[in-house]
Amino acid sequence: MNIENTKAQMRKGVLEYCILSVLQHEDAYTTEILSQLKDAKMLVVEGTVYPLLTRLKNDGLLNYRWEESTSGPPRKYYGLTETGKIFLKELDTTWNELHQAVMLITNKKSTKNE
Amino acid sequence: MNKTININLGGIYFHIDELAYEKLRRYLDAINASLSNDPYGKDEIITDIEARISELLSEKIKEERQVINEQHIDEIIKVMGQPEDYTFDEDLFNETKTTYKASHSSKKLFRDGDDKILGGVSSGLGHYFGIDVIWIRILWLVLAFGFGFGFLAYLIFWILVPEAKTTAEKLQMKGEAVTLSNIERKIKEEFNELGDRINEAGEKIKRTDFSRAKSGVEEIVDTLGKILATIFMVIGKFIGILIIIIATAVIFGTIAGGFSIGTFEMLGIGSEFASYPPFFFKSTLPVWLLIIFILTAIAVPFIFLFMLGIKIISNSAKSMGRTFKLTLLGLWIVSILGLIYSGIEYSTHTAYNGFHTINQDLPHIISDTLKIKMLGNDQYADTKSLRKNYGFEVIVDNGVEKLYSTKIKIDFEKSDSDLAYVKIRKEAEGNSRKTANEFAEKIEYKFNLVDGKLQLDGYFLSDLENIYQSQEVEITVFLPVNSLIYLDKSTKSYLNNVENTDDIYDDDMVKHYFQMTDDGLKCLDCSEIIKNNSEDNHVNLKIDVNGIDIKVNENGKTSKVKVGEHRINHKKQWVLSI
Repeated sequence: MNIENTKAQMRKGVLEYCILSVLQHEDAYTTEILSQLKDAKMLVVEGTVYPLLTRLKNDGLLNYRWEESTSGPPRKYYGLTETGKIFLKELDTTWNELHQAVMLITNKKSTKNE
Repeated sequence: MNKTININLGGIYFHIDELAYEKLRRYLDAINASLSNDPYGKDEIITDIEARISELLSEKIKEERQVINEQHIDEIIKVMGQPEDYTFDEDLFNETKTTYKASHSSKKLFRDGDDKILGGVSSGLGHYFGIDVIWIRILWLVLAFGFGFGFLAYLIFWILVPEAKTTAEKLQMKGEAVTLSNIERKIKEEFNELGDRINEAGEKIKRTDFSRAKSGVEEIVDTLGKILATIFMVIGKFIGILIIIIATAVIFGTIAGGFSIGTFEMLGIGSEFASYPPFFFKSTLPVWLLIIFILTAIAVPFIFLFMLGIKIISNSAKSMGRTFKLTLLGLWIVSILGLIYSGIEYSTHTAYNGFHTINQDLPHIISDTLKIKMLGNDQYADTKSLRKNYGFEVIVDNGVEKLYSTKIKIDFEKSDSDLAYVKIRKEAEGNSRKTANEFAEKIEYKFNLVDGKLQLDGYFLSDLENIYQSQEVEITVFLPVNSLIYLDKSTKSYLNNVENTDDIYDDDMVKHYFQMTDDGLKCLDCSEIIKNNSEDNHVNLKIDVNGIDIKVNENGKTSKVKVGEHRINHKKQWVLSI
């Protein structure tokens, strides 16, 4: 079992949720999304995000608009759709449950070990 | 020094050097390929990626005229990730995809021309049943060699099953649903492959500094060459198939033959069913080894032929391992040497003639008639059909297997003295004078004189191990002048060109009385018809077990030719006619 693999799998599982969360308050263009994810150490390489973004958009969770840029060609700004917002809320709940469940289990383990 | 290329990447203009361009292009192609399983929005994804790359590159380029080099591209790839990283969310959708596949696709049986040894039947079946092709191929081999009909079945499949040619057919063959996007993807894949190949070829030409394009004539010659090559290839493949079939049949036959002969040999009934070459019996090598030698000597060349056929049919067929080839060759040489050894052994075993002579006086009174009779032996063979024969038979004498032969000649000559005697000359051949004489001496032959009857055995026996030594017995009865003999009918086939005054044929001599004269035997009671046989004005031709007799009698000139087993007699009588 490769540890890197496991880590990647864990990140993959929540990447979708993270992207939606980044767009929760304001629209962002790809580079902004990427830099936020990278800052949070959610991403190792950027490539992973592109297919995901496109799929979320195709599934109707995201939409985008073009905005002129001062320093280059127009940029793609992504934002949540109504469906996306509902989707995100559900994911929030799930995440909290999941988080608690994981905490519970790992804490139990650590107390036991002590 | 490097050429630079101008590109438009994500709407921004870049100078990029040739090597860096190639690298970037390959990178994007690879991403494109890795995304191929997710056709939805693929172009969009690529556009986004290109935009991002151009953004990253713009950050790196400080000055407008700076050229992008390989190092820049390497850095970009480091940030963006390897092509595999783009496929991250495929796992999440695999489940839905497989169900999609299963529910929407109906597989069809096609031959797979892209993965073939002969006609792609095996790989087609492999796709159809979802089994690795190697198992199907092994099955074919088992069917072909084990039962024999595998080849036929394969040919039928080859003829009846169409080859998957169009993309739709190829998808159906592999069980992918024939949707527009799948076809598109497949075509793109193939197109890319083709494009890459063309590019590579182009680069090669550029690098080797060939002229930019071929001349028109060269192109025509090229095309003609290709057509010819195709025709030869088709003919060649046909020949290859033929070779394979023949080689398989021979190898199969030899193996089958080897097993059956081997079994006979093991069960000890070999000599009854299989007739071995003569030298098998005289060889110091055991019979089973000789059988293996012969089979190997035949089979090995055909194994090579078989491999040749396979190679003709399929260029990609793996050739046999060097060790395997050398082993086969070694076995073959050993077999051939073994056979040569046995052959030489056989050819020398009859190199010398040997003989053993016995003289036996016959207390015979001239006035008595000596009856000559051949005796058979009920134990060994049917006396009724006792006759001279050139073959051998194996019989059992007191529990010992012996050779039974009737190769006996009888002749009558004038005795120089007043005594009658019999000379028995036993002959044999051997690999030396000494052994030949020994073989001759070992021939068991008997005769006796009872009540004025000379009873000669119509056969002789010799040891089984001395088979094929050309044993024979020559009996000469020496008779004093004026003595009388009567030839019993049993002597008929044994008489050998007996000289007589009337030139009567051996066959006609039996059951008659003869008197020995200075000129040979003279018939006392022969009819004129027999005697006159030689005086008729016609050609007389007779062919029987003793050979061919030709008598020509014309205007008193007689010519007589007798072709026996060992000699040709030619008698001429000239009568002067004025």
